[in-house]
Amino acid sequence: MADENDNDRIDDNQKPEKMFTLKKWNAVAMWSWDVECDTCAICRVQVMDACLRCQAESKKDSYGKQDCVVVWGECNHSFHYCCMSLWVKQNNRCPLCQQEWSIQRMGK
Amino acid sequence: MITLSQRLKQKNQNDDSPNTRAPIRDRLLVKEAQEMSQLLPASCSVNYVNENDLSKFTLIVQPTEGYWEGGTFRFDINVTEEYNMVPPIVKCTTKLWHPNISETGEVCLSLLRRHSVDGMGWSPIRRLNDVVWGLHALFTDLLNFEDPLNVDAADQFRHSKEDFKLKVMEYVANYARE
Repeated sequence: MADENDNDRIDDNQKPEKMFTLKKWNAVAMWSWDVECDTCAICRVQVMDACLRCQAESKKDSYGKQDCVVVWGECNHSFHYCCMSLWVKQNNRCPLCQQEWSIQRMGK
Repeated sequence: MITLSQRLKQKNQNDDSPNTRAPIRDRLLVKEAQEMSQLLPASCSVNYVNENDLSKFTLIVQPTEGYWEGGTFRFDINVTEEYNMVPPIVKCTTKLWHPNISETGEVCLSLLRRHSVDGMGWSPIRRLNDVVWGLHALFTDLLNFEDPLNVDAADQFRHSKEDFKLKVMEYVANYARE
């Protein structure tokens, strides 16, 4: 008991030696689009990238730039416009929530 | 005389429509086939017709419980070029007595319906894995006597579960042995 008390007193008086020093560090940050679903559930590519079809056909594109836009439904689900326009031809429902599909907005 | 320009023109015409979908299907299949094999139910296995073609395979279901226990049931699955806008085409090649599978092999599973009014049919968010688990569940959870494809089988079940059970076992013994 006596020994322990002695040690405590020493610790109080002088700061303990640093256990380690940080010499260098690398900061890593993550980001994502502020949308409910950032992946198109139809082709499983990020909505902000070109859809699978446009990617596959990119070699044939003579304009150089791809115009693969995103479409949001009234239900707030988003998909590639290319993917969704193929799907609504046979079933005019949102593939995720099965609600009647109507476009809220389009763009990037 | 066949000229090169004519040949090219012909080739381009042949390349139209369905073939332009194929690359999408094949890209989707690379991921989906892998996912399917990783998540395969214990009672199921998959055989590819041709190792280099992920679009045609046989699913083998060997139920470990229920009426069809002990049987080996084969389903031919064909993922067409329009995938994933349309569901795979599934045919049961093992004859069996089942309310939701006809004796000729048509399968009644809502997921496999191309057009559906109730929102229960195919959706492009579905994957091969969902199809496999759906078929697997036809022998357990999704077994449905209320909306049968094989009406005789469902009627028989309603009248006598014992008779139904015997007929299932008879079919298993005759057609579904490994």
